[in-house]
Amino acid sequence: MIEHIALKGTRDGLVLYLDPEAEFSVLMDELQKLLSDSEQFLQGAAVRCYGGDRNFAIEEKEELGQALTQYGLTLAGWLTAEQVYTPIQNSNSVNIESEKARVWDEDMVEGPCLFVERTLRSGASIQFEGHVVVLGDVNPGAEIIATGNIAVMGSLRGVAHAGATGERKATVSAYHLAPTQLRIADVVARSPEGTEDWRGPEIAKIKDNQLMVDGLQIIGIRGKGR
Amino acid sequence: MGEVIVVTSGKGGVGKTTTSANIGTGLAAVGHKVVLVDTDIGLRNLDVVMGLENRIVYDIVDVTSGNCRLKQALIKDKRFENLYLLPAAQTKDKSAVNQDQMRALAQELKNEYDYAIIDCPAGIEQGFRNAIAGADRAIVVTTPEVSAVRDADRIIGLLEAADLRNPRLIINRIRPAMVKRGDMMDISDIMDILAIDLIGVVPDDESIVISTNRGEPAVIDSSSHAGEAYRRITRRIQGEEVPLMNLDAPDGFVDKVKRFFGMH
Repeated sequence: MIEHIALKGTRDGLVLYLDPEAEFSVLMDELQKLLSDSEQFLQGAAVRCYGGDRNFAIEEKEELGQALTQYGLTLAGWLTAEQVYTPIQNSNSVNIESEKARVWDEDMVEGPCLFVERTLRSGASIQFEGHVVVLGDVNPGAEIIATGNIAVMGSLRGVAHAGATGERKATVSAYHLAPTQLRIADVVARSPEGTEDWRGPEIAKIKDNQLMVDGLQIIGIRGKGR
Repeated sequence: MGEVIVVTSGKGGVGKTTTSANIGTGLAAVGHKVVLVDTDIGLRNLDVVMGLENRIVYDIVDVTSGNCRLKQALIKDKRFENLYLLPAAQTKDKSAVNQDQMRALAQELKNEYDYAIIDCPAGIEQGFRNAIAGADRAIVVTTPEVSAVRDADRIIGLLEAADLRNPRLIINRIRPAMVKRGDMMDISDIMDILAIDLIGVVPDDESIVISTNRGEPAVIDSSSHAGEAYRRITRRIQGEEVPLMNLDAPDGFVDKVKRFFGMH
């Protein structure tokens, strides 16, 4: 098992990370193992090492250098904590922040998605880890179970279960929302009697522990009958 | 090369056998060479509806298992000499035939006849799988009931999965007066869910019960309202464009009286 060292490629070449807490002999054993497994692949590369705040003895550094040379690698130097973390951490955190802001600002959700490019008839069952989009109808007797959101471009008359693993922010939307039964996370609801008529595209979500259905305000098709 | 058409529905009692008998007879009446195949092994009915039950010697299981030749099992209709019936076995069950045998049988019938109409048993099990195995096209029969439409929807899904694309729909036993009152699903309610091509709408008609019991398909009774619907379906099967029948009669009885005076 290689647990105390890691060899990673960065834009500036290979970096060998050494666990500052581990015994030097353990590090060397693991290095031998790692290099013998990937000898061909690493031929001729320059490696910089990073051992955290640990100060390796000169002999240890030499031994490490010899081990690398043995497998055709050269020890190009030692990195400080600042060199390893600061620049990467900075750029990363900036990225994540802007990404989050964008998604939050524009009501966006991302994740794996399954496109069903046909009508789901009675007896059909779709189960998917992610979002499901149906380009067609979901007829009575058909069911969709998704861990994310469900969107139906036609009529949803069957059973839909969004956020099946407990995601209470999941939604179910349809051009015509008239499900036999609707479930989001752990909340289950039936359509009220006599509500089969088309009211325009709608979206269902959890509000105050209850499933609420709202009209989707899409200007292009507002007010038009079928 | 002929065409094999399976008549199916999922739910029982919606009129598969009556539809098969009428379509087959209708096609034969305009001169096509037609064979009706009853695949409802163990619960055969098509022979009764056709009035041919007393002529059965061999049946479909005898043919597929090689007990007799196909020709020996085919019963010639008493009205049309270009119409034949291959009856189901009554003493066996659905497992007496398999899909390969049905495919081979369908191929043999196609070489000899213009149309082979296969009457499918109710359900989605082996009987259904056998019936659709050799088919080129499918006609799905439903009635304006939620349960029948639900089953038809399931069947359409299974037909598509079996590569029988674009099945056609017959809505059977519709009662215009009830639809008008809002007590029965109308055609558009059904089409909203099933979304396949409609090939005919057959009104609920007492004459069907009478003709079925007599063993005389309504399609050859020119005074029958349902018979007219089947005649139109027959023409559509041959590729003609025929408008749907006017079902907006004020009510069944008055309509019948009107037609009575119109005919005689």
